[in-house]
Amino acid sequence: MPLETPAEVDALLDNATRAAAVFSEFDQQQVDRIVHAVYEAGFNNRIRLAKLAHEETGIGRWQDKVLKNVVATQFVYEDMKGLKTVGVIAEDSDKGIVEIAQPMGPILAIIPVTNPTSTTMFKILIALKTRNPIIICPPKKAIRCCVEAARRCYEAALQEDAPEDCIQWLTEVSREQTHALMSHQKLALILATGGSSLVQSAYSSGTPTLGVGAGNVPVFIEASADVPFAVGQILLSKLFDNGTICASEQAVVVEQRVAPQVIAQFQKGGACFLDDAEIRKLEAVAYNSEKGLMNPDIVGKSAIEIAEKAGLTVPPETRLLIAPLKGVGREYPLSSEILAPILAFYVVEDFDRAVNRCIDLNFYGGIGHTVSIFSNDEQKIKEFALLMNAGRIVVNTPSSQGAVGGIFNKINPSFTLGCGTGGKNITTENVTARSLLNIQRIARRRENQRLTHFDQNLYLDESLDARAIETAFNRNY
Amino acid sequence: MIQFQEQDGRLICSFTGPLDTAVCQRMEAELMAKVDAARLPVVFDLNGVDFIGSMFLRLCLMVIKNVQANNFRLMNMKPPVKKVFKIAGFDQCLDPGSAGPAT
Repeated sequence: MPLETPAEVDALLDNATRAAAVFSEFDQQQVDRIVHAVYEAGFNNRIRLAKLAHEETGIGRWQDKVLKNVVATQFVYEDMKGLKTVGVIAEDSDKGIVEIAQPMGPILAIIPVTNPTSTTMFKILIALKTRNPIIICPPKKAIRCCVEAARRCYEAALQEDAPEDCIQWLTEVSREQTHALMSHQKLALILATGGSSLVQSAYSSGTPTLGVGAGNVPVFIEASADVPFAVGQILLSKLFDNGTICASEQAVVVEQRVAPQVIAQFQKGGACFLDDAEIRKLEAVAYNSEKGLMNPDIVGKSAIEIAEKAGLTVPPETRLLIAPLKGVGREYPLSSEILAPILAFYVVEDFDRAVNRCIDLNFYGGIGHTVSIFSNDEQKIKEFALLMNAGRIVVNTPSSQGAVGGIFNKINPSFTLGCGTGGKNITTENVTARSLLNIQRIARRRENQRLTHFDQNLYLDESLDARAIETAFNRNY
Repeated sequence: MIQFQEQDGRLICSFTGPLDTAVCQRMEAELMAKVDAARLPVVFDLNGVDFIGSMFLRLCLMVIKNVQANNFRLMNMKPPVKKVFKIAGFDQCLDPGSAGPAT
């Protein structure tokens, strides 16, 4: 629905609140039936919705968007189908603790333009699984495809007697109304996936928010790595949907001794290495230096399209533009996050310098998100991991698909990747249905026997220090 | 399913059974006709109800629109049903004197 007045914002939230009320009566079986129907509807429309998203946004490749839709429906469904989300979900008789899952209430889902239909279906599935009504707020450039995805899901949900208005969507989006929605008293949670300014607005609204941070993913090809394999995997990841996943590699860091082999492999795979003059031309179209951000016009475009925009002459088989850089920071615009088939490239002398360069990249706009390493040296993998600030450290894996989870590893599949406090998020987890529950705990009496036997007057004795108290506290009777 | 009774200048509508979409669709016309004809404050007695669906909340809203919120009361709810009305924001329609179903 279009939102033109505050009364319309209220109406949207009133509908959602009533849906939440009815949803609260549903048992696990009813919920699972609805979720299964919605998963099937989303999955069965995976190709149509992918093509629609591609046509509407002009971003990426529709074939890759199909796979995103598959992950968002089939993989997400399989990941959570056995999950208990209603009533008693855990009992520990020894501790006397019983956990009860309760829904949170109406959720506002902010959808990014780069993954519109997949993120819409992902958020709908995890919201319904947890009995939370959801309002889809699409990006301006992807309204039609998001609405279509939401509508298909809603129709399927209603077929299984889901509450009316359990899924709603906006058909027009304005900054003012989005803000009004975000700060509405009846809204329980914001699931904010999108640009940093929108995520910041969500955090500032006063409504609890599960947001994401920006990425700037370094991939380190360590000397022990299988180079052809590593380069093949990086290409698979970076070229996926023309580099639109925020966990896609942004910079390759290579130890000198394997650099020639790495360069040759990239060239064999369709990468074009640029010289300094070409890099400057590319910077001019790929980066908005006033805003200090990537230029949205090149997001998800092919390497050939971007090269043409930049006035570069590249071989027709070019799939990836690689910019060898000497540093990280504002003076090197291509060292920041650019969601397109463009990679920064660094050759360094040894392991320590490589890790330092990865730290620079990690802390230049990508804190808490994802880093990647190709290596067959367990010790070095561990060292690297301990020094990075990243929710996900993916190993010998394409980072786009690796961070999203479910394909190359057992990380929970998700289209909302928490970046921890470094990314100004509350979690480093891949956000899943588990994140959308209020867990109540019944706490039965289980006395602390040590305290029962302990003379609590000892706490009042200033001459007794921690060790003395501990000895008395732990004494056997 | 639904029974009507005029008592002390109020129209008492007593419901039984689960009030899902199908049931509500069947009762909508009769209920609204009674409310229209009675021109009295309306009370929904939910003593015999253990489930309400979206459609029943919609019926409540239709009645509120007809008689105004201060002339509409919900009473004798079992706790699970009362919780639904609380979540849905019908606080002002809950009868403060009615803590639960009449026994």
